[in-house]
Amino acid sequence: MRELELYFGPQHLGMVGNFSITLKVEGDRILKAAANPGYLHRGFEKLMEYRTWIQNFPLVCRINVVEPDHIEMVYAMAVEKLAQIEVPERAHFIRSIYLELARVQSHLFGLWAYANMLGFDTVAQWAMYHRDLVLDLFEELTGGRVYHIYIWPGGVRRDFPPGFKDKIVNTLHSIGGCVPDYDSTFFNNRLFYERAKEIGKLTQQQAKQWGATGQTLRATGMPYDIRKVEPYAAYDKVDWDVPLREDGDAYSRIWVIRDEMIESVHMIFKLLEVMPEGPVYNRIPNPFKWKIPKGDAYVRCESSRGELGLYMVSGGGDKPYRVHFRTPSYPNGLIILEKLLKNASIADVGNIMISLYVVAPEIDR
Amino acid sequence: MNKSLREKLESTFKNIQVTAVDGNRMVVTAEKRSISAILMSLKEASFDHLALISAVDYIEDNEFELCYIITCYMQDQDSEANDLHIILKTRIARESPDFKTVIDIYPNAEPYEREIHELFGIKFEGHPRLTPLLLEREYEIPPFRKDFDTRKYVKDLFDNIPSVEIEKK
Repeated sequence: MRELELYFGPQHLGMVGNFSITLKVEGDRILKAAANPGYLHRGFEKLMEYRTWIQNFPLVCRINVVEPDHIEMVYAMAVEKLAQIEVPERAHFIRSIYLELARVQSHLFGLWAYANMLGFDTVAQWAMYHRDLVLDLFEELTGGRVYHIYIWPGGVRRDFPPGFKDKIVNTLHSIGGCVPDYDSTFFNNRLFYERAKEIGKLTQQQAKQWGATGQTLRATGMPYDIRKVEPYAAYDKVDWDVPLREDGDAYSRIWVIRDEMIESVHMIFKLLEVMPEGPVYNRIPNPFKWKIPKGDAYVRCESSRGELGLYMVSGGGDKPYRVHFRTPSYPNGLIILEKLLKNASIADVGNIMISLYVVAPEIDR
Repeated sequence: MNKSLREKLESTFKNIQVTAVDGNRMVVTAEKRSISAILMSLKEASFDHLALISAVDYIEDNEFELCYIITCYMQDQDSEANDLHIILKTRIARESPDFKTVIDIYPNAEPYEREIHELFGIKFEGHPRLTPLLLEREYEIPPFRKDFDTRKYVKDLFDNIPSVEIEKK
């Protein structure tokens, strides 16, 4: 049979951003795949070297469209570490609740993408609707639906508005009430099982070797979660479990996403119960004259896709000297995707790619 | 702080500096030629996760700094290495930016080295695929170096675009 070169993408159904793959195919079988990123390279890390510490906040959240909050968090953590700013207790709790809401929102978006790609349009629309309910919460809290710029060095920008706790509880209950519907239409559906089982299978050894984190790794039975390994914000204040699956295929990855959403909701309820009163931010120096002493720091947090790290160097001035983000989609999209696509069929490309949770703007930055 | 690891590193390798910055972080500064050996011994000491390779352009010292950030995947609850991360740093001269690849030790180094090659112009010897990754075209000075003049680049790029002439009726 004749070998052909096939350009797949850069537009994909259910994928955020543009990302193309060059496939070498023989019939329906893929012989070789080469990821081709760069469609969304905006040079954020260079731009940030020309902006002050505070001016960078509206920039960083644009790095990942689906979950800007974790990137804000990791940037704020790096600034706090370099400038040695303390965060009040209540702000830690608010941050955790806010980040878990962001995780729920992001997973619902991921579920939309995956269900849409498989042709489960009803489930996709439900997920999008429920994500919108979470975005309404964000709108009330921060004023923005997608980009919030809420986390700040030294705390968060403002406290919860009156009655906001009840709103969170009500919204999450109404989403949680639909879990049986999701289960019966999608997760326990024979079609989903047939379509995703044994697709894009990854062993634990391979996942570790190729730098996987997040649910890609947890779907292979490895309980690696930064929230447990190196707790930040208020994650060590309440009990929670790391959802795991053993098989490492697309089916397990999507189940881990489902379980994680439910675990996040339970965690939010627990955090709301024990949240202390008090101030929500410590004052920072005048942002226009703020100079941070020389030094470098690597901080990390668990975004909804895996380990999100930031290596930042301060040269002692009012701007960062060098910024480098370690985004979880980077190894997923550039290494694991290429390896898993080998010997797969063309119809499974979208399945593997979206189950790996690849988000293109995060890779290109 | 993982004391035994620190002692082990200091006794095995000469000319390295180990500093513990805070509870869970260790900075190791080493010479260019001993990097592979240090990475190899760290990998044996259960540091199996290369999180990031980053490059910094210290133009005043006329040097690049390469940073390898290494952590470990959780193995058991008692292991001391669980929440420790190591930043391994080395400096290379700006005039001859050559280095050896570490793909044979950590296979996931491939795209990181590719990106550094593209953005900083550091060549990694033995890397199988140093092709362009993110950028659209090649530049005389790699764009993430500090002497890349962004304003001049923007001016050159956009001032040369001919202005749109409005058709007169």
